[in-house]
Amino acid sequence: MLALIWKDIVLEARTRETLPTLLVLGVLVLVVFYFSLALRPQDIDRTAAGILWIGIVFASVLALGRSFVIERDNGCIEGLLISPIDRGSIFLGKLAVNVILLLAFETLLVPMFALLFGVDLMANLPGLVLVLVAGTVGLAAAGTLFALAALGTRAREMVLPLLVLPLQVPLLIAAVQATEMVLGGASVTSLGARGTLLAAFDVLFVTSGWLLFEFVLVD
Amino acid sequence: MVDFLQGWLLRLAPYPVLVLVLTSLLAIFFWVPTDAGLGLSQRIFYYHVPAATSCFIAFAGGGIGSAMYLYTRKPLWDHAAHAFVSVGMLFATIVLVTGSIWARTAWGTWWTWDSRLTTFLLLWLVYASYLLLRTLSRDNEMGPRYAAVLCIVGALNVPLVMLATRLFRTIHPQVINNPQGGISDPRMVTTLMLSMGAEILLMLWLWALCVSTLRLGERVELLSEESYRRSVPS
Repeated sequence: MLALIWKDIVLEARTRETLPTLLVLGVLVLVVFYFSLALRPQDIDRTAAGILWIGIVFASVLALGRSFVIERDNGCIEGLLISPIDRGSIFLGKLAVNVILLLAFETLLVPMFALLFGVDLMANLPGLVLVLVAGTVGLAAAGTLFALAALGTRAREMVLPLLVLPLQVPLLIAAVQATEMVLGGASVTSLGARGTLLAAFDVLFVTSGWLLFEFVLVD
Repeated sequence: MVDFLQGWLLRLAPYPVLVLVLTSLLAIFFWVPTDAGLGLSQRIFYYHVPAATSCFIAFAGGGIGSAMYLYTRKPLWDHAAHAFVSVGMLFATIVLVTGSIWARTAWGTWWTWDSRLTTFLLLWLVYASYLLLRTLSRDNEMGPRYAAVLCIVGALNVPLVMLATRLFRTIHPQVINNPQGGISDPRMVTTLMLSMGAEILLMLWLWALCVSTLRLGERVELLSEESYRRSVPS
């Protein structure tokens, strides 16, 4: 499984394809939303967390759609399937790579976000990191599970957002509210139901992906 | 089991469905007393609530069918799940439309981002994407499996959606098991039970019809493939 993670990271490090694309998209989302909502300075506190998450969700759909295209185009999937690893581990490996990639993207995007929207990241930095990680794991788990299914359809990558966005809404609600709170300096323990929901979503999608992934792979 | 259930439903369901649907409609329009607070508009409730129950039963059936399909790999279970989601979507649409009409008269708005309404809309969207996935992956033999995984995960996700949307406020009336208010007149209860039976049985009958359509479709596909193979000399 570690080898699986390593090969994807090396691939990304050598080609430098995905990360810059995601970053540009993320910043574009921030800018486009800033103008389309015609934000006034006093609105920013209420909307900033939501806009950040829209950027993350869009980028995650794009990144996850890509993650199996490379495997398929070069016939690597067959190689993975005949290798002596459990199908669930393939899922966990792919998930880990996607999470690492998205977190790398977020470490670049969040400072830009703070700069553009004048948000104070230091209010509760550990809390913010925790919320971002929890949200990213959930988004990536749902996306990794359905990326192959979307590729199997005639419309290809276009279908992935349609499959995962409705499933991700509860995560998004909790993540946006939690981010808004930690940006305002609230502690992680005061998140209440939002924290529970983030954790529950992560557990549900990681386990169901781990258990169900073998069914979306060809025998 | 699907075979057995479907066969008997096709044979027996049509007559009680006809009788129940007609009597429940008569009861809704002529027999049940008008609600004191809400007036005439409350009568849509006898149609709205049973439709919601039927759609939940159908979606649960879809989840069970999908799990059984992944477990046994028998196409019949896949047809059962597919048919359940299709009829479930029909009833879910009825729920959204009747609810919307009622909300217009009672709350003065067609739609509001209330917890139950949002949960229901998201459920509708998940199963819409299920049907979309089925259509788009028709020529892929993995299609049924992708759909089954989506159906199972979608069903497991429902409690989280409910929890999440409750982070917003709710104004949806709590009618059943509500000590204050709610329905009390025995005629109201009878009408509700009557239309509940009518719609659940109607849903099951439609499901059985839908399963036979899907099975026929599969046979047609197999036969046309075979005739194509015969017509082209190898």
